[in-house]
Amino acid sequence: MSDSHTRHYLMIWIWLLALVVLSVAAASILPKTQALVLIFAVAVVKALLVARNFMHLKNERAIIYALVLVPLAFIIILLFALFPDFVYRG
Amino acid sequence: MSGAAVPPGKTGTWWFLASEIPVFGGLIASYIVVRLGSAGWGESSAHLNFTLALINTFLLLTSSMTVVMAHAAAQESDFRRAANYLGLTILFGLGFLGVKGVEYTTEIVHGFTPASGIFWSFYYGMTGLHGLHVLAGIIVNVVLWIGALKGSLAQNSHRVELAGLYWHFVDIVWIFLFPLLYLA
Repeated sequence: MSDSHTRHYLMIWIWLLALVVLSVAAASILPKTQALVLIFAVAVVKALLVARNFMHLKNERAIIYALVLVPLAFIIILLFALFPDFVYRG
Repeated sequence: MSGAAVPPGKTGTWWFLASEIPVFGGLIASYIVVRLGSAGWGESSAHLNFTLALINTFLLLTSSMTVVMAHAAAQESDFRRAANYLGLTILFGLGFLGVKGVEYTTEIVHGFTPASGIFWSFYYGMTGLHGLHVLAGIIVNVVLWIGALKGSLAQNSHRVELAGLYWHFVDIVWIFLFPLLYLA
């Protein structure tokens, strides 16, 4: 197995673990709202690290991106479609 | 990437993962909306075992690394090494389910069942569905592991990558479930 691949995957793994430590630290140190923003920003970064490096999305063609982005867009639309409920009622 | 077409198996796997996004995404979106819409119910999450969830996060992130190492080994036709990494991935997956089992048991013993309230319904629903996905991934990895040991994987080595794609997806779902349930 080529060493450069191994090193790259190990580096990504170390980053992922470091980000877990960061979000746990944020949850215990920062005020609630700031902590939540940081925690979910970190989760998105972790997901992108896994998708781009371990799932090799960064070398993938546009059709694969399209497959993933369409359902993701629908989920975000769904989320915002339900927002009026707690914004106006909650 | 070069001009080569995407292999059909890979397109199929991504198509399947794309269909999984609304499954977990729908649950997560509903969870966020219900949680933001009703004050106080997040206190239930204080009863969850944070340490065990942290251990599980470590296990699943590490298993993503070992399964991609198996893919790299299979690509270079080093099936001995691929088998070792697949074996490790299976162990981490079983470890995850074992820890989850301990968590469920403790919670149920303390009286927190899926019927204990909306938080618990979401908790058992989301982690249960995720756990089933981990179990399915373990089964696929066991089949590949046996193939790697017997030498039959050589004709189908691309399957290690496809199984890995699914495994990483399950890992990404946990990346979001962990803060949603245990940190927020």
